[in-house]
Amino acid sequence: MREMFTMWKNTKMVMLTALTAAVYAAILIPFKGIPIIPGITEFRPAQIIAATFPLFFGPAGAWGLAFGNLIGDFFGTLGPGSFFGFFGNLFQGIVLYKVWQALRKEATIKSGKDFLHYALALIVSSAACATIIAWGLEVLRMLPFAVLGSIIFLNNAAVPIILGPPLILLLYPRIKKWDLLWTEVMDEDDISPVRRPAVGQTLTWAGAFGGLVVGLLISTGAYGAKLAGFGVGSYGVGVQIGLVPFIIALVVGCLL
Amino acid sequence: MNLYLYLDKDTPIHRMDPRAKLFVLLFSFALPLLNQHPLWVAGAFAVILAYGAAARSLENLRRIRQILFFIFIFSTLVWTFFAKGTDVLIWRVSRQSILYGIGTGLKLDAMIIAGMVFLSTTKNEEISQGLILLGLPYPMAFAFSTALRLVPTFVGAGATIAQAQRSRGLDIDSGSFIERVRKYIPLLVPIFLTAIRSSDGLAMALEGKGFGASTKRTFYLRFKWTARETVVVGLFLALVVANTYLTLTGRTLIRGLMK
Repeated sequence: MREMFTMWKNTKMVMLTALTAAVYAAILIPFKGIPIIPGITEFRPAQIIAATFPLFFGPAGAWGLAFGNLIGDFFGTLGPGSFFGFFGNLFQGIVLYKVWQALRKEATIKSGKDFLHYALALIVSSAACATIIAWGLEVLRMLPFAVLGSIIFLNNAAVPIILGPPLILLLYPRIKKWDLLWTEVMDEDDISPVRRPAVGQTLTWAGAFGGLVVGLLISTGAYGAKLAGFGVGSYGVGVQIGLVPFIIALVVGCLL
Repeated sequence: MNLYLYLDKDTPIHRMDPRAKLFVLLFSFALPLLNQHPLWVAGAFAVILAYGAAARSLENLRRIRQILFFIFIFSTLVWTFFAKGTDVLIWRVSRQSILYGIGTGLKLDAMIIAGMVFLSTTKNEEISQGLILLGLPYPMAFAFSTALRLVPTFVGAGATIAQAQRSRGLDIDSGSFIERVRKYIPLLVPIFLTAIRSSDGLAMALEGKGFGASTKRTFYLRFKWTARETVVVGLFLALVVANTYLTLTGRTLIRGLMK
């Protein structure tokens, strides 16, 4: 993840961060009026940016999502949840471009196999974001993981899975022509190579998706095999401590 | 119409160093979070309202009143069923879970209001400057403040493009969910391309002005930490410390609430 820090010395990457953040916030804001969980999340067509810009702009896309989400919160929902929203969105971007980097693919979709890879990358990046935010708000005891985790995950993945591929096909040729792909903008020395893609991917999946599933199981009490066990799970320490190893695995996975 | 919540008023809180306002914001988040019982949360709520009143920024409550209302109702209902208590009233609902639900609803509202007061009293450039003074690297703060400035531009561009596409016959209100979602592409692509295309020019303009050439920067906006800042931050810190003590001794908790 060296590029997450070295990118700040590249003016073009700084501008791409600002533009990603501004566009993300500009699309988030009009939908603040359609809340799914009031004050926490809303219908987010802007997730289409979270599902495309990190592919093109790499770390600038990831930072842009984090800043954009924070700016979106400036329109009435700034709170401690914004802190976890920042990191949730940051990791959503990191996971997406890191998965793509590990696959050594162009930032476009040319075949059914590419679409499958894209869908899987989208799922794991959405899960990473959902796990971090839902865990954070559970730590603060603001909302149960079971309520938030599933909603953020679906909200993050639903629209992009439909809109993402056509948008990537439309944007990629232009961005490539303008030499704005992050791998072309940044010096090779400033980008950390993916050294152990298999281990990294496994840890990322285990941390993001595993964390989400385990969090939901603990939070709903389903691990006790109680049908419709709503309200009988652990809403406190169980989720707070139980998910720490998964979040560590997610971060380590991104580093590899 | 002003998109942002900032209110241009001349109050001592408006004039405070942004670092102090950021510290007060953090302590304002901590105060409600420390308590469980709705009466204690209401106390924290009152402190935040008083701070907002001193900043003459409570008029912005009108802009977020719907959010506050729905947050309160939603949180109260969710926790009434999710939390567990010893005095069960019906099914999953206990006296403690109701109290916890109300407390959490109040907590969330109090924190959103704290955020609103901060944004009502602090200009965007002051926020960036405050973050730089607290150690955020300048390029990050620059990206953040540039994004803040560009948001209204892109919101305006989006509205113009939507009108243009509608006048060409784009109907985004009919069809199935997937069809309607797909119809957003003609709206999104021009916005994205306009934004992306401008990045090259902006980067060149920045480099032409020596962006990143020197690590030591000087700033037009300068702030001074005075006794006023120390008193206000100290007052909030004292409240947090006292509240922490009361929480550790169990006085702000709901008896019978199970974990």
